[in-house]
Amino acid sequence: MNSENQVPIIPKGRPISWEDWLKGRRARRETGNRVAPEIIRRSSSSSDKRLRQLFNGERGLPFKATEEL
Amino acid sequence: MKPEQIQQALEDISVESDPSLKHLKLASLVSAVFRARGVELVVVGGSAIEFYTEGAYVSGDLDMCLVSPTRLDVRTRQELMGQIGARGGPRNWQVAGHFVDILGEVETLSLTPFDELQAPYGIVRLVSPEDLLVERVLISVYPQPHEPAAHCARKLIAVSLSGQVDMDWKEVRRLAERPEYRILPVLEKIVGEVAHELGKPSPYHS
Repeated sequence: MNSENQVPIIPKGRPISWEDWLKGRRARRETGNRVAPEIIRRSSSSSDKRLRQLFNGERGLPFKATEEL
Repeated sequence: MKPEQIQQALEDISVESDPSLKHLKLASLVSAVFRARGVELVVVGGSAIEFYTEGAYVSGDLDMCLVSPTRLDVRTRQELMGQIGARGGPRNWQVAGHFVDILGEVETLSLTPFDELQAPYGIVRLVSPEDLLVERVLISVYPQPHEPAAHCARKLIAVSLSGQVDMDWKEVRRLAERPEYRILPVLEKIVGEVAHELGKPSPYHS
């Protein structure tokens, strides 16, 4: 457990449980948002054609808003 | 996994609308099916970055590599992916409303182990954050400056400095110094910048 904000750490040398990983999602997103834009998905790649065909012109599913995590 | 368990998993994954969860559930199912045949896979690239950062980076394809064996014949790949109703191949498939790429032997220079997630259909292995970070730092400047890679690196550094991801900073430095990367000055600079922005000490500032 991370004492700073009671978020389970992604540990080294042992698996993290699904529940602990889920618990830390929002905190990890919020931390990253302090140093980079919220959404950083690339605008293009070599897989563009197949991705945009499958995802209605997008390159993947829409992201959950931070407050929904 | 029994066929009915695979079918149940596919139904769950197909209706999953959260891209991070969809990636990891699908990685869990693919890993389980391959593991039953003695094949170990590891998640690499954007899906691994998403696991560590929740960084809203991942797109609609899941990238996995072979750990052991390091090569797998095309017939076996097609048979295993066929067990989960995949279409296409021989290196990328469409399954459960998503793409899965199996890219060959994993490239890793890190001495730290793969991280592991106990996901709904079995353990998922993920390439280490040390490998990911040094790779993204390199891509952020070579062959041309690449902003998405820099953003990924900054988010990885931030979650690690904030105690949310266990990062071996000595190992990161060792990797950055290796001839395969030669990126230590850029690494130290970006770690220092992010540490400053977060108001935390840099692991490279004595």
